[in-house]
Amino acid sequence: MARISVAWANLMHERTRLMVAISGVAFAVILIFMNLGFMGALISTATNFYEQFNADLFLISPETLEISTSTAFPRERLYQIAGVDGVERTMPLYSEYLLWRNPETGVSRAIFAYGFNPNDPAFLMPELQEENARHILSRPDTVFMDRFSRPEFGPQDIGTTTEADRRRAIIGGTYFLGGGFAADGTLIMSDQNFVRYLAPRPLNLINVGLVKLNPGISPDKVAETMRSLLPADVDVYTKPGIIQHDSEYWLESTSIGFIFSMGVVVSFVVGAVIVYQILFTDIRDHLPEYATMKAMGYRSKYLFKIVLQEAILLAVLGYVPGLVAALGLYHLTTKATAGTLPVAMNGGRVIFVLSLTLLMCCLSGLISVRKAVTADPAEIF
Amino acid sequence: MFKAQQQSKFEPSRDNLAVQIQRLNYFFGAGDLSKQVLFDISLELPKGQIVILTGPSGSGKTTLLTLAGALRRLQEGSLRVLGQELVGLGDRALVNIRRNIGFIFQAHNLFESLTASQNVEMAVELTGDFASKRQQAVAMLSALGLDDRVDYKPQSLSGGQKQRVAIARALVNHPKLILADEPTAALDKKSGRDVVNYLHNLSREEGCTVLMVTHDNRILDVADRIINLVDGRLESDSSLNAFVQSKTKDSLTDISADMFIM
Repeated sequence: MARISVAWANLMHERTRLMVAISGVAFAVILIFMNLGFMGALISTATNFYEQFNADLFLISPETLEISTSTAFPRERLYQIAGVDGVERTMPLYSEYLLWRNPETGVSRAIFAYGFNPNDPAFLMPELQEENARHILSRPDTVFMDRFSRPEFGPQDIGTTTEADRRRAIIGGTYFLGGGFAADGTLIMSDQNFVRYLAPRPLNLINVGLVKLNPGISPDKVAETMRSLLPADVDVYTKPGIIQHDSEYWLESTSIGFIFSMGVVVSFVVGAVIVYQILFTDIRDHLPEYATMKAMGYRSKYLFKIVLQEAILLAVLGYVPGLVAALGLYHLTTKATAGTLPVAMNGGRVIFVLSLTLLMCCLSGLISVRKAVTADPAEIF
Repeated sequence: MFKAQQQSKFEPSRDNLAVQIQRLNYFFGAGDLSKQVLFDISLELPKGQIVILTGPSGSGKTTLLTLAGALRRLQEGSLRVLGQELVGLGDRALVNIRRNIGFIFQAHNLFESLTASQNVEMAVELTGDFASKRQQAVAMLSALGLDDRVDYKPQSLSGGQKQRVAIARALVNHPKLILADEPTAALDKKSGRDVVNYLHNLSREEGCTVLMVTHDNRILDVADRIINLVDGRLESDSSLNAFVQSKTKDSLTDISADMFIM
């Protein structure tokens, strides 16, 4: 027969206390999941426009912090790697902030403008794939407007005429992209229009080099080859690589990472305090029994194990409903924000929060166990 | 030199002693606040004896009991329990000694979350005997008249039944020494008598020694010996008859056990 599980029996005996403990742990788990979920969603909105770039490799300057804070580098770098095996085509991308004037209010606001050669398939948005789009983009002073731009930029209807950097601008088409954290809105225009708006900017300095590879070619290998060919004024990233590069910037160099990590820490402490309270009360109530066990010949190690088992049981029992509730809240959040805040669960986070919960409970167990271990069997006579 | 001589003098009888206390002093507190509770106690309990420890409250009875049970550290003097000197033993060794002692407390101290049988099985688990722990527990509970309460939790047992479960837990491993502190205080006359009779049989059949602190006059008759402790000193150490005589100061020369069963 197996050893009697005192930990399990003690937890099950006080149903109300068990429910409170489980709710406490679940509450902390939900808070941690929500903080991580919001952080992940914000970071992914800050970088998910990269998915719409029709490229496998990205060349940027080492001084570029994220897409909107970039340093230009010579276009020759693209020519240098255009002949590498597996490269289908290379495309220069220009980017800069423009002042866009709201035609209704007359207020100007900074908008983020991309310039590219209309003959290059640089973007994947369906609106830019049509044959017509190429012609419209080639017209002078004509731009495409991002439908995800903030309403403060004014009407987004095709044919709207306004001013950008004191030059006439006509909206020739629209698309859906999103500007991430940095930009309130984006424009796409031909490289020729780009130099018109941003004169005296030369076209031989580019902000991002897009590299399309032949199908079935491993981007990592080609990137390795390119790094050996290119001088130090340019870095090569794969698509996941550049997303991570930008995410790290937002997480580490801005307050976003701090705010949500703080949320996780606070939730962790709240959970730990709840579990500590429950375990401490449980130990206090059973002190004569624990002391009796010591008198009978049980060692402190055994009592230690009981308390730790209770802690781990609470962690697991609280984690499962917490996870289920968090999945529900993720779904609710995504629906409530119409998909603009894509809160999604991933395997890494499931395991990370489980470990965090176990750590939280064991820590509380270790703090509260001192009372059980110091139970003096001589006191109960 | 003197010490060696003394030891050799005691050697022959030592095998028959369950507890041997020599010149024991014990203090509570430390420094200026220290207060002596036991004064120069020397006592030998042979195997198989039932010894009752009486005395007014605060006389140090319970302290003596916890010292003999390896629950406190010795300060001055010598204390041998079941052939093992307790002075200078580490925590680990003290725990091992305790496993051979059955403790019966005034409060039952049962786990409310475990059934009667499981509470007793907790003691059997210490011996590592997992296969037959349930049988042993049930057998011991039955011997104490609890065969129909084996799977009840303490909250559905009466006070007397709870105390008997606690006693079953103390006795299930057949300890050679039983230390009991007011084991019958919470019991009615009949259950108290059953418990005492059981302890009596156990000591006769298995030769185990019982040291019991009690104020319960109803059970004095089972004692082979009654020790009176007053203010931390041994006041008297006598057989049952002598004790009763000294207390009653009557002309009775002999007494029957019946007079204590009221």
